[in-house]
Amino acid sequence: MTAARIGIGGPVGSGKTALIEALIPRLTANGINLAIITNDLVTREDAERIRRSGLIDPARVGAVEAGACPHTVIREDPTMNMVAGDEMEAKFPGLQLLIYESGGDNLASTFSLDLVDWWMFVIDVAGGDDIPRKRGPGVLRCDLLVVNKTDLAPHVGVNLPRMLDEARSVRGGRPVLATNCRTGDGVAEIAAAIDAAVLFRS
Amino acid sequence: MIATLHALWQADSGFPSGSFAFSGGLEAFFAAAPQADGTTLAALLRDTLAQRWANSERVTLAAAYRAGTDLDAIARADAALEAATLVQPLRDGSRRNGAAFLAAHDRLGTQGVARLRAACRSGICLGHLAAMQGAVFAALGMDLATAIAAAGYAGAAAMVTAVVRLGRVGAIEGQRALASVLPLLADLAAAAPPHGALPEGFLPMLDIAAARHARSALRLFAT
Repeated sequence: MTAARIGIGGPVGSGKTALIEALIPRLTANGINLAIITNDLVTREDAERIRRSGLIDPARVGAVEAGACPHTVIREDPTMNMVAGDEMEAKFPGLQLLIYESGGDNLASTFSLDLVDWWMFVIDVAGGDDIPRKRGPGVLRCDLLVVNKTDLAPHVGVNLPRMLDEARSVRGGRPVLATNCRTGDGVAEIAAAIDAAVLFRS
Repeated sequence: MIATLHALWQADSGFPSGSFAFSGGLEAFFAAAPQADGTTLAALLRDTLAQRWANSERVTLAAAYRAGTDLDAIARADAALEAATLVQPLRDGSRRNGAAFLAAHDRLGTQGVARLRAACRSGICLGHLAAMQGAVFAALGMDLATAIAAAGYAGAAAMVTAVVRLGRVGAIEGQRALASVLPLLADLAAAAPPHGALPEGFLPMLDIAAARHARSALRLFAT
């Protein structure tokens, strides 16, 4: 198995699926052969949404049940996801990138490095500007922290520059990027970060 | 002692085998039974072990265990369980669970597992959990009784965990139910299935629940 495997985690509603939808055209335009596996908690809604997006061959989108515990399926017992990834690679020779989307979770969610090579954690401004200060393991330990829905900051009383500064501070200067997935702001930078981190092309 | 420790290792819910994702029909059963409680769970555990597992998965595990490294014999045991499992979601779930179990052992480098995974990929084996447990537990050096006990305990504990996660039984009540079936499990482990036995299991209530579950749009577990 040779595809790079990355994870996208974060709380429910932070924009993980929207980020994947925004990333797909940019990654495929860069010639990256990719597939996606979602870990929906209760339904297959995220997998179906991506399958029906028209952005990717629906056969390249898999779904793994989280057994009522989205933490377990990406950390304590990632074997179901491993098998889904192995099967995806067997089905699509030449696959370069496998994206695992975690079911929505809380700030304690982290990916096992047995499952992924690199992972990002997505939070959004509407969840509150105190999220970085709470120092959840997801915020602290991810390879890239994404602060999404930046356009909502003035509407929910969030001082975005301060939130980003605090995020960089609690992460000891490790990468933090701001995005608005609806307009595409910041998404190219995330695609470039993936490229540099696991595909070694830039 | 090392065989005992291997059994504890494999029976531990902390071992990543994918089993956490399956409820074996319990999710749908409890959804349809609002009055069900810890006593119900204990009865379900007892029935599952006595009416299904003892005569199907346990028989398959023993056959695969006795097969040693004979891949054709393991494949025959595996295929017999496929034929004896009436409900498709449970067949699929058993194979998926077996694939996850092998994925962990493959990455750990357990003896013979790379060959088993290759056999599953090529279609020689179907990869049912019980068959794969039998083959792997033999490779780990467990005696057959210990292998049966480890697999039975892991399966029963996974059922309890599923119902606790569903919020229908408390953690302590769940352990009370699990403890209540340990004597039965001990008896099943002590009496090995006869050579040449074929698997057969019938538990219509959970079979129907599993079939209904597969058609549900809203579900937490794979089965």
